Amino acid sequence: MSESGLPCVEGLFSAEDGVATLHGSKCTGCNTPYFPRSEACHNPDCTGSNIVDFDFGGSGTLWSYSVADFPPPPPHKFDKPFAPYAIGVVDMECGLRLIGQMVDKAEDVKVDAKVELVIDTLYHEDDVAYSSWKFKQI
Amino acid sequence: MQEVAVIGVGMHRFGKTGDDIVGTKSVGSLCRTAVDAALKDAGVNWKQIQAVAAASSRFSGGKGWGLNGNDVVEDLGSTGIPVYNMSAGCAAGGNAFNVGYSMVAGGVYDMMLVVGGEVMPKGMIQTSGVEEATDPEFLRQRCIGMPGPSFWSTLARRRMFEYGTTEEQFSQVAVKARKCSVHNPMARFQKEITVEDVMNSPYVSNPLRLFQICPVSNGAAAAIICSKEYAKKFTSKPITVASSTVATMTFNDMLPRGLADPMTECANLHTEAQNAVANAFEKSGIGPGDVSFTELQDNTCYYELAFPEEWGLCEAGESESLLMAGETTPTGRMPINPSGGFVSFGEATTAMGVFQIAELTWQLRGQAGGRQVPDAKVGLAQTLGLGGNATAAILKR
Ligand SMILES: [Zn+2]
Repeated sequence: MSESGLPCVEGLFSAEDGVATLHGSKCTGCNTPYFPRSEACHNPDCTGSNIVDFDFGGSGTLWSYSVADFPPPPPHKFDKPFAPYAIGVVDMECGLRLIGQMVDKAEDVKVDAKVELVIDTLYHEDDVAYSSWKFKQI
Repeated sequence: MQEVAVIGVGMHRFGKTGDDIVGTKSVGSLCRTAVDAALKDAGVNWKQIQAVAAASSRFSGGKGWGLNGNDVVEDLGSTGIPVYNMSAGCAAGGNAFNVGYSMVAGGVYDMMLVVGGEVMPKGMIQTSGVEEATDPEFLRQRCIGMPGPSFWSTLARRRMFEYGTTEEQFSQVAVKARKCSVHNPMARFQKEITVEDVMNSPYVSNPLRLFQICPVSNGAAAAIICSKEYAKKFTSKPITVASSTVATMTFNDMLPRGLADPMTECANLHTEAQNAVANAFEKSGIGPGDVSFTELQDNTCYYELAFPEEWGLCEAGESESLLMAGETTPTGRMPINPSGGFVSFGEATTAMGVFQIAELTWQLRGQAGGRQVPDAKVGLAQTLGLGGNATAAILKR
């Protein structure tokens, strides 16, 4: 699963010892988490916008999902031939509703399922595997 | 503030590049047809137009396609009037209408043209085109890969989970829409379809199928608006703008537009649309119960079921039964999209907000033929655009 390679975008996430960590930020004034990092707090009722780094991972509940039955337009990259995949929207325990590809086959995905964050290969380029965060049903 | 009236509307029939309807016509040519029709409908000549609010995509996509209001003015005659080019994704037409409305209401101009038109690029709409880690659309496509319809199918799937909505019910929305379009000479698709036809169309993004989402189209729409007082010179039956609003989404929105969104207690998934519609009700003193019919942005059939509930036109979870009982048809209790909607027109992004104003006007005048809502008195229009933009307008006779 966690084939070592390069992240598809630098600085957003990392995988150590098979554990997926996403690098976001959090406002200490109102405790709101953000991913990717936000430079300011978006909460209009928060008077003390103070953003600090916030790493998260772990699990959540699948709020809903869709299926990419056709390849998305660039700048998406994928290994050919294109294989349809599911895209999950997950209510994470850290308080973020997060989007990501599902590792599970589309026909196996169920709304309300418990899922965990993993780092998995997204595509290959010049024999290098590029990875992203994904969800896996527990 | 002075009352504002719509005194003329026009449209170029929607079509697809290369077909018999729009062929290879430029966006300028489509707009010219729509504006000429609106001027004629109003009994106004071009030189009487004091300013233009244009729904413009020219500079928002960075690709050089789309409408630039200055070109419309040059084409109709360079009178030197001000042009306001409004950019708000698919909400741009509604935004342009609001700018026109606000300026006439505020007494800045007596008469304005509102115009939107589009010749869409082929294939799926690409957004920014830039490859920078600070661009949320780039991140979404590179890290996840979310084709446009996937946003809608996520919502549709959730509704299926919450309310037991079936794929056949989504299909029934399209069937109803296309039944209306038979009577709309401006619609791109004017043929009835069956539930079987919809169910036999391929998945674009499971659970949504090809006939349940709107394709991109070429088309244009225009409206002439002026102060109610000024309108008396031109018509004895102006359509009154009861309110026009623009809104963005609020912090408590629970629908992630980028990679993630902080979770809140708010159940609403399109706060920008709810904000725009709620403000339109509040400003006009008109309530959901007073609305004769609604033209809402049905990029997908899902919205025809979700939006009326989110805005209080009906109860939560009630839409499917209203649909199946025929209550959302032009002659039903809660008519939705008597024009045939985006599903029948396809989306010519910046034209849509103005296309809705044209349909509202025709309906309120009683000129909608076979798709007429009987005795229509009040019409509600709503658009939704990328980036958390929305607009609403309430017109009355
Ligand atoms: Zn804060």
